[in-house]
Amino acid sequence: MVPLENYLVLSAILFSLGVYGVLARRNAVLILMSVELMLNAVSLNFVAFAAYLDPDKITGAIFAIFVITVAAAEVGLALAIVIRLFRNRATSNVDEAATMKW
Amino acid sequence: MATEVLWWIFASAIVAVSVGVVTARTVIHSAIFLILSLCGVGAMYIFLTVEFLALVQFLIYGGAVTVLILLALMLTRGGGTVTEKLNGPQAPFAAAAGVALLLILTTVAIDTAWPGDTDDLPDMITVTPISEGLFMDFGAPFVIASVVLLVALVGAIILARQEDD
Repeated sequence: MVPLENYLVLSAILFSLGVYGVLARRNAVLILMSVELMLNAVSLNFVAFAAYLDPDKITGAIFAIFVITVAAAEVGLALAIVIRLFRNRATSNVDEAATMKW
Repeated sequence: MATEVLWWIFASAIVAVSVGVVTARTVIHSAIFLILSLCGVGAMYIFLTVEFLALVQFLIYGGAVTVLILLALMLTRGGGTVTEKLNGPQAPFAAAAGVALLLILTTVAIDTAWPGDTDDLPDMITVTPISEGLFMDFGAPFVIASVVLLVALVGAIILARQEDD
C-alpha cells in the first residue's frame, strides 16, 4: 500500500510548482492557473490526511468540496477582472498594470 | 503491488504535466497541461478511495474551470502572433523560492511521525457519509458557501459587462 508520505511529497511538489508559477509568470491568466495548481495540492493533502489519519474518514473530503467551491468562485471573479483589465489596458500582464505602484 | 506501480506512474505523470504548466512556451499549451494535471489529481482521489470527490474533480475542474480559463485566454490575447515573454525577470528568484519551499515541505512531511498513521486505507468512502457530513455537521458552511458562489457570480457578471452602449 502507498504510505501517507508519498501523497504529502507529491502535494508538496505540486504546491511548490504553483508558487514558482505565481511568482515567475507575467500573464494574469497563467498566474491564475498556477493558483489552481496550489489549490489542488491543498485538496490532495486534505483528502490524504482524512483517509489515513481521521477516524471519521470524511472531514477532509468535505473540506476538499469547499475548496473546489471557493476555487470555482475565485476563477469566475478573477477572469472577469482579467477581461476588464484587458479591455481597459489592452494587456493582461500584471507588470504592465502598475498604476498603483509607487 | 499493482496499485503501487500504477500510483507511481500516475504520480510521475502528474509531476511532469505540472512542470509543463509552469514552463510551457505558449499559454494554450500551459492550459492543456493544466487540464491533464487536474485530471491526474482526480485519479489520486480514486487511489484514496474517495470516488465521489474524483467525479466532482473531473466535472468541475476538468470541465468547467478549464473551459473558463481557455475562454479567458482567447479573449485576452492580442490579435495575431503573440511572442512576448511569459516569464518576468524575477523568474530565477521565483525558482529559488519554489525549491526552498519544496525542501522545507518534504523534510517536514517525511520527518514528522503522524499520530494515528495506520498505513492502510479504508475500503471505500461512499457518498452517503459524505452527504451526511455535508448536510448535518457542515450545514452552516454549506449555506455560506452557496451565498459566496452567488455573490461571486453576480460580481463577475457586473465586472465583465459591456458598459456605455
